[in-house]
Amino acid sequence: MKTLKEMLAEARQVVPEQGPADVKKRIDAGEPLVLIDVRDPDEYRDGFIEPATNISRGFLEFRIGGAASDPATPIVLYCQSGLRSMLASKVLKDLGYENVTNLQGGFQKWAQSGLPVVKDRPMNADQIQRYSRHFLLNQVGEKGQRKLLRSKVLLIGAGGLGSPTALYLAAAGVGTMGLMDGDVVDVSNLQRQILHTTANVGRPKVESGTEMIRALNPDVNVIPLPTRITVDNVMDIIKDYDLIVDGSDNFETRYLMNDACYLAGKTNVHGSIFQFEGMATVFAPNQGPCYRCLYPTPPPPGLVPS
Amino acid sequence: MKLLLGIGEPLIGRLLTYDAMGMRFREVRLRRDPKCPLCGTSPTITDLAVHRNGAGAACDVSTTDGHREGVAAGVTPKAGG
Repeated sequence: MKTLKEMLAEARQVVPEQGPADVKKRIDAGEPLVLIDVRDPDEYRDGFIEPATNISRGFLEFRIGGAASDPATPIVLYCQSGLRSMLASKVLKDLGYENVTNLQGGFQKWAQSGLPVVKDRPMNADQIQRYSRHFLLNQVGEKGQRKLLRSKVLLIGAGGLGSPTALYLAAAGVGTMGLMDGDVVDVSNLQRQILHTTANVGRPKVESGTEMIRALNPDVNVIPLPTRITVDNVMDIIKDYDLIVDGSDNFETRYLMNDACYLAGKTNVHGSIFQFEGMATVFAPNQGPCYRCLYPTPPPPGLVPS
Repeated sequence: MKLLLGIGEPLIGRLLTYDAMGMRFREVRLRRDPKCPLCGTSPTITDLAVHRNGAGAACDVSTTDGHREGVAAGVTPKAGG
Protein backbone atom coordinates (compact mmCIF):
# COMPACT_ATOMS: atom_id res chain seq x y z
CA MET A 1 0.00 0.00 0.00
CA LYS A 2 1.23 3.50 -0.89
CA THR A 3 1.26 6.36 1.55
CA LEU A 4 -0.06 9.81 0.62
CA LYS A 5 3.51 11.06 0.69
CA GLU A 6 4.55 8.46 -1.86
CA MET A 7 1.61 9.28 -4.10
CA LEU A 8 2.48 12.98 -4.03
CA ALA A 9 6.11 12.21 -4.77
CA GLU A 10 5.07 10.07 -7.70
CA ALA A 11 2.82 12.83 -9.06
CA ARG A 12 5.60 15.42 -8.71
CA GLN A 13 7.79 13.34 -10.98
CA VAL A 14 5.44 13.82 -13.92
CA VAL A 15 3.67 17.11 -13.12
CA PRO A 16 5.64 20.35 -13.23
CA GLU A 17 4.79 23.04 -10.68
CA GLN A 18 4.80 26.79 -11.05
CA GLY A 19 4.47 29.45 -8.38
CA PRO A 20 1.75 32.15 -8.39
CA ALA A 21 3.89 34.82 -10.06
CA ASP A 22 4.77 32.56 -13.01
CA VAL A 23 1.17 31.46 -13.54
CA LYS A 24 0.02 35.09 -13.35
CA LYS A 25 2.55 35.98 -16.03
CA ARG A 26 1.17 33.28 -18.31
CA ILE A 27 -2.41 34.48 -17.80
CA ASP A 28 -1.45 38.12 -18.40
CA ALA A 29 0.47 37.20 -21.54
CA GLY A 30 -2.80 35.91 -22.98
CA GLU A 31 -1.66 32.29 -23.24
CA PRO A 32 -4.74 30.22 -24.06
CA LEU A 33 -4.42 28.15 -20.92
CA VAL A 34 -7.31 26.51 -19.12
CA LEU A 35 -7.22 27.28 -15.41
CA ILE A 36 -9.16 24.84 -13.26
CA ASP A 37 -10.07 25.21 -9.62
CA VAL A 38 -10.48 21.66 -8.30
CA ARG A 39 -11.81 22.66 -4.88
CA ASP A 40 -15.40 22.19 -3.75
CA PRO A 41 -17.95 24.75 -5.01
CA ASP A 42 -18.27 26.48 -1.63
CA GLU A 43 -14.52 27.03 -1.46
CA TYR A 44 -14.56 28.37 -5.02
CA ARG A 45 -17.38 30.82 -4.29
CA ASP A 46 -15.46 32.17 -1.32
CA GLY A 47 -12.79 33.44 -3.68
CA PHE A 48 -11.05 32.19 -6.80
CA ILE A 49 -8.46 33.10 -9.39
CA GLU A 50 -9.76 34.68 -12.57
CA PRO A 51 -10.45 33.11 -15.12
CA ALA A 52 -10.70 29.71 -13.42
CA THR A 53 -13.44 27.19 -14.08
CA ASN A 54 -14.55 25.22 -11.06
CA ILE A 55 -14.46 21.45 -11.58
CA SER A 56 -14.22 19.81 -8.19
CA ARG A 57 -11.79 16.96 -7.79
CA GLY A 58 -14.57 14.36 -7.71
CA PHE A 59 -15.91 15.38 -11.12
CA LEU A 60 -12.61 16.04 -12.86
CA GLU A 61 -12.49 12.95 -15.08
CA PHE A 62 -16.13 13.47 -16.08
CA ARG A 63 -15.97 17.16 -16.94
CA ILE A 64 -12.43 17.87 -18.12
CA GLY A 65 -13.41 17.09 -21.71
CA GLY A 66 -15.80 20.04 -21.68
CA ALA A 67 -13.07 22.43 -20.53
CA ALA A 68 -10.20 21.08 -22.64
CA SER A 69 -10.92 18.81 -25.60
CA ASP A 70 -7.43 18.91 -27.11
CA PRO A 71 -4.82 16.90 -25.14
CA ALA A 72 -2.21 19.54 -26.01
CA THR A 73 -4.19 22.33 -24.28
CA PRO A 74 -2.09 23.98 -21.58
CA ILE A 75 -3.86 23.33 -18.29
CA VAL A 76 -3.13 24.75 -14.85
CA LEU A 77 -4.78 23.20 -11.81
CA TYR A 78 -5.05 24.58 -8.33
CA CYS A 79 -6.68 23.77 -5.03
CA GLN A 80 -6.35 25.41 -1.61
CA SER A 81 -2.77 24.47 -0.80
CA GLY A 82 -1.54 22.66 -3.91
CA LEU A 83 -1.80 19.03 -2.76
CA ARG A 84 -5.25 17.96 -4.01
CA SER A 85 -4.50 19.61 -7.35
CA MET A 86 -1.17 17.79 -7.55
CA LEU A 87 -2.96 14.46 -7.35
CA ALA A 88 -5.61 15.76 -9.77
CA SER A 89 -2.90 16.87 -12.21
CA LYS A 90 -1.48 13.35 -12.17
CA VAL A 91 -4.92 12.03 -13.14
CA LEU A 92 -5.02 14.41 -16.12
CA LYS A 93 -1.57 13.22 -17.13
CA ASP A 94 -2.82 9.62 -16.97
CA LEU A 95 -5.78 10.64 -19.15
CA GLY A 96 -3.32 11.83 -21.78
CA TYR A 97 -3.19 15.60 -21.23
CA GLU A 98 0.35 16.58 -22.14
CA ASN A 99 0.70 20.08 -20.79
CA VAL A 100 -0.52 20.09 -17.19
CA THR A 101 0.96 22.32 -14.51
CA ASN A 102 0.13 22.47 -10.82
CA LEU A 103 -0.06 25.84 -9.10
CA GLN A 104 2.44 25.46 -6.33
CA GLY A 105 1.03 26.52 -2.95
CA GLY A 106 -2.47 26.74 -4.42
CA PHE A 107 -5.02 29.48 -3.88
CA GLN A 108 -3.61 30.19 -0.44
CA LYS A 109 -0.17 31.12 -1.68
CA TRP A 110 -1.68 33.06 -4.60
CA ALA A 111 -3.79 35.18 -2.24
CA GLN A 112 -0.92 35.61 0.23
CA SER A 113 1.26 36.90 -2.61
CA GLY A 114 -1.23 39.74 -2.96
CA LEU A 115 -2.40 38.60 -6.41
CA PRO A 116 -6.00 39.41 -7.37
CA VAL A 117 -8.80 37.06 -6.39
CA VAL A 118 -12.47 37.39 -7.22
CA LYS A 119 -15.51 36.44 -5.23
CA ASP A 120 -18.92 35.59 -6.59
CA ARG A 121 -22.19 36.09 -4.87
CA PRO A 122 -24.49 33.20 -5.72
CA MET A 123 -27.19 34.18 -8.20
CA ASN A 124 -30.70 34.33 -6.82
CA ALA A 125 -33.72 32.62 -8.42
CA ASP A 126 -34.75 35.79 -10.29
CA GLN A 127 -31.30 36.17 -11.77
CA ILE A 128 -31.17 32.54 -12.83
CA GLN A 129 -34.38 33.08 -14.80
CA ARG A 130 -33.43 36.49 -16.14
CA TYR A 131 -30.11 35.34 -17.56
CA SER A 132 -31.18 31.82 -18.54
CA ARG A 133 -30.73 32.57 -22.25
CA HIS A 134 -27.15 33.58 -21.60
CA PHE A 135 -26.55 30.27 -19.86
CA LEU A 136 -27.45 28.51 -23.10
CA LEU A 137 -24.57 30.21 -24.89
CA ASN A 138 -21.39 28.19 -24.37
CA GLN A 139 -19.20 31.26 -24.54
CA VAL A 140 -21.17 33.05 -21.82
CA GLY A 141 -22.76 30.52 -19.48
CA GLU A 142 -23.21 31.04 -15.76
CA LYS A 143 -19.55 31.80 -15.34
CA GLY A 144 -19.69 34.55 -17.98
CA GLN A 145 -22.82 35.96 -16.42
CA ARG A 146 -21.15 36.23 -13.06
CA LYS A 147 -18.30 38.00 -14.77
CA LEU A 148 -20.71 40.47 -16.39
CA LEU A 149 -22.32 41.09 -13.00
CA ARG A 150 -18.88 41.90 -11.60
CA SER A 151 -17.96 44.16 -14.55
CA LYS A 152 -17.80 47.92 -14.41
CA VAL A 153 -18.40 49.96 -17.55
CA LEU A 154 -18.26 53.73 -17.90
CA LEU A 155 -20.41 55.35 -20.57
CA ILE A 156 -19.29 58.76 -21.72
CA GLY A 157 -22.45 60.38 -23.05
CA ALA A 158 -26.05 59.29 -22.55
CA GLY A 159 -27.15 60.38 -26.01
CA GLY A 160 -27.49 58.72 -29.39
CA LEU A 161 -24.74 56.14 -28.89
CA GLY A 162 -24.86 55.97 -25.11
CA SER A 163 -28.58 55.18 -25.08
CA PRO A 164 -28.61 51.82 -26.86
CA THR A 165 -25.29 50.90 -25.26
CA ALA A 166 -26.68 51.57 -21.78
CA LEU A 167 -29.88 49.64 -22.44
CA TYR A 168 -28.21 46.59 -23.94
CA LEU A 169 -25.46 46.39 -21.32
CA ALA A 170 -28.02 46.86 -18.54
CA ALA A 171 -30.29 44.19 -19.99
CA ALA A 172 -27.35 41.80 -20.24
CA GLY A 173 -26.55 42.30 -16.56
CA VAL A 174 -23.39 44.39 -16.51
CA GLY A 175 -23.25 44.94 -12.76
CA THR A 176 -21.92 48.47 -12.50
CA MET A 177 -22.49 51.24 -14.99
CA GLY A 178 -21.17 54.76 -14.68
CA LEU A 179 -23.34 57.13 -16.71
CA MET A 180 -21.71 60.43 -17.50
CA ASP A 181 -23.41 63.35 -19.23
CA GLY A 182 -23.78 66.99 -18.29
CA ASP A 183 -26.81 67.72 -20.48
CA VAL A 184 -30.53 67.76 -19.85
CA VAL A 185 -33.07 65.92 -21.99
CA ASP A 186 -34.35 68.04 -24.87
CA VAL A 187 -37.44 67.11 -26.84
CA SER A 188 -35.32 67.05 -30.01
CA ASN A 189 -33.21 64.24 -28.47
CA LEU A 190 -36.10 61.81 -28.23
CA GLN A 191 -36.18 60.82 -31.92
CA ARG A 192 -32.98 58.80 -31.37
CA GLN A 193 -31.88 58.86 -27.73
CA ILE A 194 -33.98 55.95 -26.59
CA LEU A 195 -32.81 56.05 -22.99
CA HIS A 196 -35.08 59.04 -22.36
CA THR A 197 -38.82 59.57 -22.42
CA THR A 198 -41.12 62.52 -23.07
CA ALA A 199 -41.90 62.79 -19.36
CA ASN A 200 -38.23 63.45 -18.66
CA VAL A 201 -37.73 66.43 -20.95
CA GLY A 202 -35.87 69.10 -18.99
CA ARG A 203 -34.35 66.67 -16.49
CA PRO A 204 -30.64 65.76 -16.43
CA LYS A 205 -29.92 62.92 -18.83
CA VAL A 206 -28.15 60.91 -16.16
CA GLU A 207 -31.23 61.04 -13.90
CA SER A 208 -33.52 60.02 -16.70
CA GLY A 209 -31.09 57.31 -17.79
CA THR A 210 -30.57 55.99 -14.27
CA GLU A 211 -34.32 55.52 -13.78
CA MET A 212 -34.68 53.79 -17.13
CA ILE A 213 -31.79 51.40 -16.46
CA ARG A 214 -33.04 50.54 -12.98
CA ALA A 215 -36.51 49.88 -14.35
CA LEU A 216 -35.04 47.58 -16.98
CA ASN A 217 -32.71 45.68 -14.65
CA PRO A 218 -32.50 46.27 -10.90
CA ASP A 219 -29.27 44.22 -10.78
CA VAL A 220 -27.37 47.13 -12.31
CA ASN A 221 -25.73 49.54 -9.94
CA VAL A 222 -25.90 52.82 -11.87
CA ILE A 223 -23.52 55.58 -10.89
CA PRO A 224 -24.91 58.87 -12.23
CA LEU A 225 -22.22 61.41 -13.10
CA PRO A 226 -24.09 64.60 -14.08
CA THR A 227 -21.07 66.49 -15.34
CA ARG A 228 -18.84 66.83 -18.37
CA ILE A 229 -15.65 64.87 -18.50
CA THR A 230 -12.70 67.25 -18.14
CA VAL A 231 -8.94 67.10 -17.96
CA ASP A 232 -9.26 67.52 -14.19
CA ASN A 233 -11.75 64.75 -13.44
CA VAL A 234 -11.05 62.16 -16.14
CA MET A 235 -8.25 60.15 -14.52
CA ASP A 236 -10.01 59.94 -11.19
CA ILE A 237 -13.26 58.77 -12.80
CA ILE A 238 -11.94 56.16 -15.26
CA LYS A 239 -9.71 54.41 -12.71
CA ASP A 240 -12.69 52.55 -11.21
CA TYR A 241 -13.87 50.96 -14.47
CA ASP A 242 -12.93 47.89 -16.51
CA LEU A 243 -14.04 49.35 -19.82
CA ILE A 244 -14.86 52.79 -21.19
CA VAL A 245 -17.40 53.41 -23.95
CA ASP A 246 -16.91 56.76 -25.62
CA GLY A 247 -20.19 57.92 -27.08
CA SER A 248 -19.38 61.60 -26.79
CA ASP A 249 -20.35 64.20 -29.37
CA ASN A 250 -17.26 66.36 -29.80
CA PHE A 251 -13.61 66.03 -30.76
CA GLU A 252 -12.30 67.64 -27.59
CA THR A 253 -13.77 64.81 -25.52
CA ARG A 254 -12.74 62.16 -28.07
CA TYR A 255 -9.09 63.16 -27.79
CA LEU A 256 -9.26 63.57 -24.04
CA MET A 257 -10.78 60.10 -23.64
CA ASN A 258 -8.26 58.57 -26.01
CA ASP A 259 -5.29 60.07 -24.21
CA ALA A 260 -6.61 59.41 -20.70
CA CYS A 261 -7.56 55.79 -21.48
CA TYR A 262 -4.17 55.10 -23.03
CA LEU A 263 -2.29 56.64 -20.12
CA ALA A 264 -4.45 54.74 -17.61
CA GLY A 265 -4.23 51.46 -19.56
CA LYS A 266 -8.01 51.28 -20.07
CA THR A 267 -9.68 49.84 -23.15
CA ASN A 268 -11.82 52.42 -24.93
CA VAL A 269 -14.71 51.39 -27.16
CA HIS A 270 -15.12 54.09 -29.74
CA GLY A 271 -18.26 54.76 -31.72
CA SER A 272 -19.14 57.85 -33.71
CA ILE A 273 -21.73 58.91 -36.24
CA PHE A 274 -22.59 61.64 -38.67
CA GLN A 275 -25.96 61.62 -40.36
CA PHE A 276 -26.23 58.26 -42.15
CA GLU A 277 -22.69 57.11 -41.47
CA GLY A 278 -21.17 55.53 -38.43
CA MET A 279 -17.95 53.95 -37.34
CA ALA A 280 -16.80 51.78 -34.49
CA THR A 281 -13.51 50.45 -33.23
CA VAL A 282 -11.76 49.46 -30.02
CA PHE A 283 -8.65 51.16 -28.72
CA ALA A 284 -6.83 48.75 -26.42
CA PRO A 285 -3.58 50.21 -25.07
CA ASN A 286 -0.50 48.46 -26.49
CA GLN A 287 -2.61 45.80 -28.20
CA GLY A 288 -3.62 47.99 -31.12
CA PRO A 289 -3.62 51.56 -32.37
CA CYS A 290 -5.14 54.53 -30.58
CA TYR A 291 -7.26 57.36 -31.99
CA ARG A 292 -4.17 59.47 -32.56
CA CYS A 293 -2.64 56.73 -34.75
CA LEU A 294 -5.63 57.35 -36.99
CA TYR A 295 -5.97 61.08 -36.59
CA PRO A 296 -2.92 62.46 -34.73
CA THR A 297 -4.54 65.78 -33.92
CA PRO A 298 -8.06 67.20 -33.79
CA PRO A 299 -9.42 68.66 -37.03
CA PRO A 300 -9.31 72.43 -37.32
CA PRO A 301 -12.59 73.95 -36.07
CA GLY A 302 -15.21 73.96 -38.80
CA LEU A 303 -13.55 71.34 -41.08
CA VAL A 304 -15.59 68.46 -39.78
CA PRO A 305 -19.01 68.93 -38.20
CA SER A 306 -19.15 68.01 -34.54
CA MET B 1 -19.69 42.38 -23.80
CA LYS B 2 -17.12 40.34 -25.69
CA LEU B 3 -14.36 42.49 -24.23
CA LEU B 4 -15.75 42.05 -20.73
CA LEU B 5 -16.02 38.30 -21.20
CA GLY B 6 -12.77 37.90 -23.12
CA ILE B 7 -14.45 36.01 -25.96
CA GLY B 8 -14.49 36.26 -29.75
CA GLU B 9 -12.65 38.83 -31.83
CA PRO B 10 -13.11 42.42 -30.74
CA LEU B 11 -12.55 45.40 -33.05
CA ILE B 12 -9.00 46.03 -31.81
CA GLY B 13 -7.01 47.24 -34.81
CA ARG B 14 -10.05 47.26 -37.08
CA LEU B 15 -12.35 50.13 -37.95
CA LEU B 16 -15.85 49.12 -38.93
CA THR B 17 -17.72 51.71 -40.92
CA TYR B 18 -21.39 51.69 -41.70
CA ASP B 19 -23.11 53.52 -44.50
CA ALA B 20 -26.83 53.37 -43.83
CA MET B 21 -27.78 54.98 -47.15
CA GLY B 22 -25.87 52.48 -49.27
CA MET B 23 -26.46 49.82 -46.61
CA ARG B 24 -22.84 48.79 -46.58
CA PHE B 25 -20.36 47.79 -43.92
CA ARG B 26 -16.68 48.24 -44.56
CA GLU B 27 -13.71 47.14 -42.53
CA VAL B 28 -10.47 49.09 -42.47
CA ARG B 29 -7.42 47.50 -40.89
CA LEU B 30 -5.69 49.91 -38.54
CA ARG B 31 -2.04 49.78 -37.63
CA ARG B 32 -0.23 51.36 -34.76
CA ASP B 33 1.69 54.39 -35.92
CA PRO B 34 5.27 54.29 -34.61
CA LYS B 35 5.22 58.09 -34.93
CA CYS B 36 2.02 58.41 -32.92
CA PRO B 37 2.44 61.31 -30.48
CA LEU B 38 0.72 59.25 -27.75
CA CYS B 39 1.48 55.55 -28.18
CA GLY B 40 4.39 55.68 -30.64
CA THR B 41 8.01 54.83 -29.99
CA SER B 42 8.95 58.34 -28.84
CA PRO B 43 5.75 59.90 -27.59
CA THR B 44 5.43 63.64 -27.10
CA ILE B 45 2.23 63.29 -25.08
CA THR B 46 3.00 61.71 -21.72
CA ASP B 47 0.31 63.35 -19.63
CA LEU B 48 -2.89 65.33 -20.18
CA ALA B 49 -1.19 68.73 -20.28
CA VAL B 50 -2.05 69.22 -23.99
CA HIS B 51 -5.70 69.33 -22.97
CA ARG B 52 -5.13 72.31 -20.71
CA ASN B 53 -4.41 74.67 -23.62
CA GLY B 54 -8.08 75.32 -24.14
CA ALA B 55 -10.69 74.01 -26.56
CA GLY B 56 -9.49 72.75 -29.92
CA ALA B 57 -5.77 73.30 -29.26
CA ALA B 58 -5.27 69.73 -28.21
CA CYS B 59 -1.82 69.52 -29.73
CA ASP B 60 0.83 71.90 -30.94
CA VAL B 61 1.91 69.94 -34.02
CA SER B 62 0.50 70.70 -37.44
CA THR B 63 -3.14 69.72 -37.75
CA THR B 64 -3.21 68.99 -41.45
CA ASP B 65 -1.07 65.87 -41.90
CA GLY B 66 -3.09 63.55 -39.77
CA HIS B 67 -6.25 64.52 -41.47
CA ARG B 68 -4.80 63.97 -44.85
CA GLU B 69 -3.86 60.47 -43.66
CA GLY B 70 -7.30 59.92 -42.22
CA VAL B 71 -8.95 61.03 -45.41
CA ALA B 72 -6.47 58.95 -47.42
CA ALA B 73 -7.69 55.90 -45.53
CA GLY B 74 -11.08 56.92 -46.84
CA VAL B 75 -12.62 57.57 -43.48
CA THR B 76 -13.46 61.05 -42.30
CA PRO B 77 -13.44 61.39 -38.53
CA LYS B 78 -16.81 61.82 -36.92
CA ALA B 79 -17.48 63.26 -33.50
CA GLY B 80 -21.21 62.71 -33.23
CA GLY B 81 -22.54 60.59 -30.44
